[in-house]
Amino acid sequence: MSSVIVTVILGLGLALTLVRRRSVGIALITAQSLTLSIGAFTLTGGRSAAFLVASIVLAFKTVALPLLLRALQRRTPEPRLVPAARGPLSRLAAASALALLAAAAIPPISHTGGYIEHAAIALVLIGITVVATRRPALHQLLGLIVAENGCSLLAVAVPGGLAYLIELGALFDLVLIVTVAAAFVQQIHLVLGTGNTELLRGLRD
Amino acid sequence: MTELAHILASLTVGLPLLAAALTWLARTPRQADVIGRTAAVGTAAPALTLATLALTHGGVPLVDGSWLLIDRASGVLLAVTGVIGLSSALVSPAYLRVAERSWLSATASHSWYYSALFAFWAALMAVPVSGNLAVTWLLIEATTAASALLVSFSGRREALEAGWKYLILTTLGLSVALFGIIVIGVAQAGSGHHGLTALDWHALVSAASSMPRTVVISGFVLLIVGLAAKIGWAPVHNWLPDAHSEAPAPVSALLSAVLLPTVLLIAWRVNDALAPGVGRGMAATLFIGFGLASILVAIPFLWKRMPWKRLLAYSSLEHMGIIAVGLGFASPLAIAGVIVHVSGHAVAKSLGFYASLPKRGSDATVEVAGGNGANAVAKGISLVALAGLPPSPLFVSELLIVVGGFAAGYTVADLLTVIALALGFLGLMHAFLEDVVADEPGGLAGREHSSGMAFSGSTS
Repeated sequence: MSSVIVTVILGLGLALTLVRRRSVGIALITAQSLTLSIGAFTLTGGRSAAFLVASIVLAFKTVALPLLLRALQRRTPEPRLVPAARGPLSRLAAASALALLAAAAIPPISHTGGYIEHAAIALVLIGITVVATRRPALHQLLGLIVAENGCSLLAVAVPGGLAYLIELGALFDLVLIVTVAAAFVQQIHLVLGTGNTELLRGLRD
Repeated sequence: MTELAHILASLTVGLPLLAAALTWLARTPRQADVIGRTAAVGTAAPALTLATLALTHGGVPLVDGSWLLIDRASGVLLAVTGVIGLSSALVSPAYLRVAERSWLSATASHSWYYSALFAFWAALMAVPVSGNLAVTWLLIEATTAASALLVSFSGRREALEAGWKYLILTTLGLSVALFGIIVIGVAQAGSGHHGLTALDWHALVSAASSMPRTVVISGFVLLIVGLAAKIGWAPVHNWLPDAHSEAPAPVSALLSAVLLPTVLLIAWRVNDALAPGVGRGMAATLFIGFGLASILVAIPFLWKRMPWKRLLAYSSLEHMGIIAVGLGFASPLAIAGVIVHVSGHAVAKSLGFYASLPKRGSDATVEVAGGNGANAVAKGISLVALAGLPPSPLFVSELLIVVGGFAAGYTVADLLTVIALALGFLGLMHAFLEDVVADEPGGLAGREHSSGMAFSGSTS
């Protein structure tokens, strides 16, 4: 996979730490999944038929998840933007620092994919940062998908990453998890009138 | 024998899935209860038969294939899952009868509850018999999807918080674990093993020592850290006390007594398979580190006065820590202790959770469980057993783990474990004496629910 495509995927993940509008966040995730899927298709030439199936699975993710997220966004209207816990630059700095740290800590996994491997682990950590620093439930869900996209990047870009059957299973599980999370987001909106998870802090010892 | 094992394994996973579909179609709450109870007995029978076969087959696995691995460890977990799953399904009508509300209407909520419960049970049955690391990961992820909605079944604000936290944190943890699996897959490909079969447990065992050491260490650490979030090991345990205290009692029992040890079994299988490549010392350090951290984090909460189910949740954190320490010691005595501990903890903890179920009074109000003599006795037995007071099986298991640690040469870690266990024991005995024996006002009997919800027609 070309380093330009990998950089775009990474950049879209970092951009998610900056945005506040849910619609923009969903658009960024869609673009990231689409770029990942295009990157996978560029590799199908030299790989097996099983890899082509894995690429088709990724392409399906590009269509299915945004549709689900758009439907969720329409069903849970936010009267106003949820106040951010931290400023966009501090979120970006935290995500970048974690990503760089992880890239430095993880040794080379294969002979070919140093940059891809670093980008993949960086995406997992960017996803974790998004979940930790964002208050809206839907943004936390987007963070999960960024982390999963990090796994998908490593799985498709590095030879031997993951069998297509597991890609298929992982996609099924992800759709299942996103569907369950969507049910949660709807119920949270119903109970709180907003998707601000900051208001869900009643359980303390 | 192998053919019979395959049939039983198919029934063990297939029957609860069928039950999930059937209960979904139930038209009335009573119909859902009847189908649920019948299907639970039907599910437990093949599971316990398979567990018996696995445990009595000797040192060789009953089945050792690409899709299925049924060894003695699978047998222990299948037995625990069968017994606790059956008990949880049988006591569920008692919970549902008094559950005031959920996300759905009364009729729909019964069907929905049983469907999710059986789907969760099916996934729990499949994990210990899965023969492939990647497939096992998919099944563990499936347990999250099936159980997250059950955690927040009551629909209350606190339950929503607990369910959401559980869903997000464990899914993130499993993403890290998946990353570790891919790293191992890449290392396997480098050694000439490709495709799904490269991640079979026996393929990993045979190839671990030939994988590049730095890569296998990275994969191993990512896998164990990711699974730690699902097991609830400190410091990635934040979801555990909330989910266990807010879930319906039968679900709390399954979460604590079955889910946590089942994922722990997978962490142990990973350790067993990759240790030749990682190095026994490093693998042991990781397990003992997580174990001691979990016990030490749990202790202050065992001393604190808190709602019954929340106390049990922190006790789960402590016990998962003890099991981790035992797996880290890895001597035959310590492993024997782990097996006794998994079984004893399952029985004692589920008894504690079932004791929190309210009893319907004659005037259609609901008595707090602690106010009921039998339930108070059950709570007392549960607490004493969990504390490890002789003749509790947990006393025997903890003794075996400690002696096993000394035998393996982990003197410092063992001494720390002994001190931590003593503090945990005193904390739980303090709760037993103050809140069960003395039955003080505001004690456990009167503090059934973390949110302080009155027990008049509603339950946890």
